[in-house]
Amino acid sequence: MTPALVGLSHRTAPVEVRERLAFPGDEAAHALSGLHDAGVEQVVLLTTCNRTELYFESGEEETFARAVDFLERAAGALPEPLPNYLYRHSGDSVALHLFRVVSGLDSMVPGEAEVQGQVREAYQRAAGSDPAMTGAVLNRLFQTALSVGGRVRSETAIGEGSASVASVAVELARKIFGDLRDRRVLVLGAGETAERMVASLGREGVQGVMVANRTYDRAVDLAERLHGRAVRMEEITRALADADIVLTSTSAPHFLVTASNLTAAYPAGVTSPLLMVDIAIPRDIDPELGGVADVFLYNVDDLQRILDESLDRRRVAAVDAESLIAREVEGFALWHRSLAVVPAIRALREHGERVRAREVARLIERMPHLSGADRDAVEAFSRRLLNQLLHEPTARLRRAAEEGRGEEALAAVRHWGEGHDLA
Amino acid sequence: MIHLFALLLYNAAFLLWLRTLLGGGRGRDAPPAWATAAGVAAHVVAFSAYAAEFRELPLVGLGPSLSMLALLVTIGLLGAVVVREGERVGIVLLPLAIILQAIALAVGIRPSGTDPDFQGGWFILHAGLGLAGVVGIALAGASGGLYLAQFRELKARRMGRLFYFLPPLATLDRLGRVGSHVGFVFLTVSLALGWAWTVRFRGTFGQEDVEMWWGLFSWLAVLTAILTRAARGGTPERRAALANSVAFLLVVAGYVVLRVTAHPEAGFL
Repeated sequence: MTPALVGLSHRTAPVEVRERLAFPGDEAAHALSGLHDAGVEQVVLLTTCNRTELYFESGEEETFARAVDFLERAAGALPEPLPNYLYRHSGDSVALHLFRVVSGLDSMVPGEAEVQGQVREAYQRAAGSDPAMTGAVLNRLFQTALSVGGRVRSETAIGEGSASVASVAVELARKIFGDLRDRRVLVLGAGETAERMVASLGREGVQGVMVANRTYDRAVDLAERLHGRAVRMEEITRALADADIVLTSTSAPHFLVTASNLTAAYPAGVTSPLLMVDIAIPRDIDPELGGVADVFLYNVDDLQRILDESLDRRRVAAVDAESLIAREVEGFALWHRSLAVVPAIRALREHGERVRAREVARLIERMPHLSGADRDAVEAFSRRLLNQLLHEPTARLRRAAEEGRGEEALAAVRHWGEGHDLA
Repeated sequence: MIHLFALLLYNAAFLLWLRTLLGGGRGRDAPPAWATAAGVAAHVVAFSAYAAEFRELPLVGLGPSLSMLALLVTIGLLGAVVVREGERVGIVLLPLAIILQAIALAVGIRPSGTDPDFQGGWFILHAGLGLAGVVGIALAGASGGLYLAQFRELKARRMGRLFYFLPPLATLDRLGRVGSHVGFVFLTVSLALGWAWTVRFRGTFGQEDVEMWWGLFSWLAVLTAILTRAARGGTPERRAALANSVAFLLVVAGYVVLRVTAHPEAGFL
């Protein structure tokens, strides 16, 4: 059995095509049963916002055709025929592809971690369905992939540093405050980026969110979504005194937070570290405030520069990740090649077991005086002897298969088997 | 031999931290923390053997005292594990422990043959708490220094390997606060016990004792550092970080000066 895959990703298909083949939530399980009904019985469906891929236990042409047919029906009318967006792999290159995917090397942001969970989910969905839609090859492929993903993340720097402007802000907040649970955030402007940043901070446990906006109603809307409270623009000085983190993203043509605001908020000077992130253009916070000792002020260029450095480090780490993956692909390929001799090994063992059982039965028949314990000892001895005799040929068969001489070894076994009752 | 093994493990822990720092600042904290723990275990075994062989605790004499101080520094470092990334102060405390242990091994970790007065429970408490107090000051000083380094990285708006390696400012502040308070309390009790002992058994205030002056100086340094947190100007965290690092440097400098200038017969550690 040779593993195979067919799929599309952000590298081959635009978003309007990818979204037609996304199977969010329960739809993935329905799609799996649809594939089963279409005659594709052993398959894993990996679906993320950037890719949809089908991994098969065995890649016969007929399986490909059925899978593509299924995808075409699911996608409906597309700007171009579906095959134009698809790629397909079979054999060892399937392992290489999946190991790169699970490690985040094929993602838009190199090293992103979410895909590891998505691969695990896809595998568990297929393996856990009734009947299970994974066989020995897919099980081994995905279990190895998940382990490779974990190793790549722990043994290389691919997942280190920030992967988005929002995560840079979170990283900065973490390095200043450590635990963010009791921290308060003041958001100026109800823009989408600010909302994403606050959502990221919220995942870190930030609780007290205050939102101020030129249009008070929009501030109320955003505050409700973020479980915070709205603040009127005239009150921002007072809110500033309560905040540990200030995020600004308004379209105001002038500075909204100046030295005078800060002095009014902290008449005795800043008494605890204050993180200010200004992603507005033109800027909302007077850059002079960056000179205040315990104010950590970052503008959009600072964040972008930090992000670029972080992504550069990830790209460098990707080289280490690729070599780790290459070793793992080799390991998988060896295992896969050794599968070719599994039936022969099984037949050899079954033959040996038949001979052993027959000869032991004959012996015991000829020696009726043996006690039960003696008979057990003879049984155990014969099993040990058989295992020892078969150990070397079994190992040699596996090794030959791993070295690509599986056919040669199988021919030898078949030749030997002609003189015996080898199944 | 076991002392040397402990030293090797401390070195291994330090090198692991160094590798993490040079490798981009991120990495698993467990290997260096485990290497430190193994070093502490070896060190404890070495001291148990010492106590069994010589029937005294390794608190008297230069070699045993410095080695005990090294052990307490690494125990303090293990205690820092409880706060987020706190064990990373090992990048400063492990070299300190390594230097102390190396000097102790160089001068020899053996009984000094001093007065049996120095072997009673009273003295053990005084010396043990005094060394623990110095460890508190070292922890506060190391955390303070790293706080200032991380502060500088954040103000410089760069996220280099030091930025990723160093713990958050809040963690370093917490360690500094705990270290300075522990240092102050232990040193206070140690000094009080030492004084009570000299007054009761020797009928003096110990003014001729160089260690007493160093202890008093260290106590004043840590007290000043604690009070500086409450002063005005800037955030208390940054003020305390600066004060803790200065206090630690003063304690070390005071020791070196007294050690160099004290009369050999004064028996200063």
